[in-house]
Amino acid sequence: MTHRRTFALGSLAVFAVLGLLLPSGIRSLVIQIMIFSVFAMGYDVSLGFTNQCSLGHSIFFGAGAYGAILTIMHLKAGPVLSLFAGLGAGFFFAIVLGIVCVRLSEAYFVIVTAIISAVFHLLAMDLTWLTGGDDGLSATIPPISLGFAKLSLYNPLVNYYFVLLFLALSYLFLERVIKAPLGKIFIAIRENEKRTQFLGYNVLGYKLIAFVISASLGGLSGALYALTLRYASADYFSFYWSVLPVVWCLVGGLGTLAGPWIGVAIMSLFQYYVSAWFTYYLLLFGILVLIVLKVSRKGILGYLLAKGAK
Amino acid sequence: MPEWVVDVLFLLMNGLIWGLIIALISLGLSLIFGVMGIVNMAHGDLYMLGAILGFSLYPIVGNFWLALIIVPVIIAVIAGPIERYVLRPYEGYHSVTMIATVAISFIIQQIGLATYGGIPKKMPDPWPISFSILGVSYPGYRLLIAAISVLILVAVWLFLYRTSFGILIRASIQDKQMASAMGIDVNKVLISTFVLGSVLAAIGGVLAAPVTQVSYLMGNDVALLAFIVVIIGGLGSLEGTLIAALGLCSLEGVMAFVLTPTQSKAAIFVIMVIILMIRPRGLFGGKER
Repeated sequence: MTHRRTFALGSLAVFAVLGLLLPSGIRSLVIQIMIFSVFAMGYDVSLGFTNQCSLGHSIFFGAGAYGAILTIMHLKAGPVLSLFAGLGAGFFFAIVLGIVCVRLSEAYFVIVTAIISAVFHLLAMDLTWLTGGDDGLSATIPPISLGFAKLSLYNPLVNYYFVLLFLALSYLFLERVIKAPLGKIFIAIRENEKRTQFLGYNVLGYKLIAFVISASLGGLSGALYALTLRYASADYFSFYWSVLPVVWCLVGGLGTLAGPWIGVAIMSLFQYYVSAWFTYYLLLFGILVLIVLKVSRKGILGYLLAKGAK
Repeated sequence: MPEWVVDVLFLLMNGLIWGLIIALISLGLSLIFGVMGIVNMAHGDLYMLGAILGFSLYPIVGNFWLALIIVPVIIAVIAGPIERYVLRPYEGYHSVTMIATVAISFIIQQIGLATYGGIPKKMPDPWPISFSILGVSYPGYRLLIAAISVLILVAVWLFLYRTSFGILIRASIQDKQMASAMGIDVNKVLISTFVLGSVLAAIGGVLAAPVTQVSYLMGNDVALLAFIVVIIGGLGSLEGTLIAALGLCSLEGVMAFVLTPTQSKAAIFVIMVIILMIRPRGLFGGKER
């Protein structure tokens, strides 16, 4: 437990220092890594803590991105407000879909979430008046006013620390949730769903809570991504974005919160460097996933922690 | 007869024929899930591979029917090792199989993109004869698809319900452990079921190639529809799969009269959600083992 916390806080500190040192190219890659880390951590609550393997998280990512961009475009909201709009969009869709999906058994759950995300992708491609379709929508992000100063997200340093702030906040929030009795119940559900039911807990209710927390962070991450790129497109709903969080969590380590960060870092570096010289990068991506499944389902951090515990 | 009735009838017929192809594909999906507990996300890509192979072999062998026989053999040779060496350790763990097959699906798609190219192509009609039905000329090849699909469905049915190996497969659907305890070589059943399911998808692909666009992404739409069919019919239930495939596709065909394709997809999706709200295990799904 404490190792995990040390790792997470240490990484946050490293991120904070790196922001000042890195050259701008790598810095934007690190910004991406931090944004995806929020997504991955949220996903870990669903898969790693309550054993709900959702393949529909692209919905929340896309909804978050559009929530942010659309509120800026149509309501002239500021970045922080639009971020919460994105989070709210994830929250809303999670409740609606969660009510349908949470009570399904494992196989139905994965398939139905995958079907729903595919349908959302189709709809997003089709409803061009709302989403801009494949071309997407781009927006001008207004500066954040702090009363005494105005911070513009167009400044890469501001952007970096803005994202880092939300990464830290979401980590601290999740750490608190997992430590609280609520987190204990999540783990009980993961370990033995039937027994938890017999102990008198409302398993479906708690699964829904985990799903909603997870999806809201997906929405937040989508909003951060959209604000950073000043752009949202129907592609954010595509199946690829549903598969990525699973891979991040598997690579990094399920049920460790900060473990998926390693997964995100590895996969982002992999994509950044490999897709530059190999067109069929998804081929290697698939092979990598198979290798990860074969070698260790605990992931890298899970493996290290298990080794340290011995 | 008023013109719109004729229109609706033809849309219904198109839907029904498409439903027969989807029935082939989703029957494979359902078998693979029922026997092995694999949620096969790569199923649509085996369909795509079947279509691409059919498309590329047709000019080489010069005979569509020969291609229809060769392609399933090639797919069987590909599918066997995938089951044996990649998927076997994960069988029964639904989420894990789903992730592994997603990876396989990416691999197959990228190989398709690298070898076949990204541009959708149209295949020439292998049987350019049309029949006149109700005064409208209807392509004969579509009727032929229907006949071949029905033949194959009947053959699969006879195989499953009238042969001793079919009994082994059905026994494994009911209770794999017990089947193994009774001395059934379950590993042999597993690999042949996966091959059978994949071959069904590939045949669907070859049959569908002349009536759709052949591209490396064509599997995605079909996989989506096949999964909806399998969910509505009930996972692992073969008769449910058949009924749902024919019913849904006819409905989708008729809906094309008033809705755009995306709208009718959304409508089918709404139907699925409503059915799941009422029956979380689909129409014919039993208790999960």
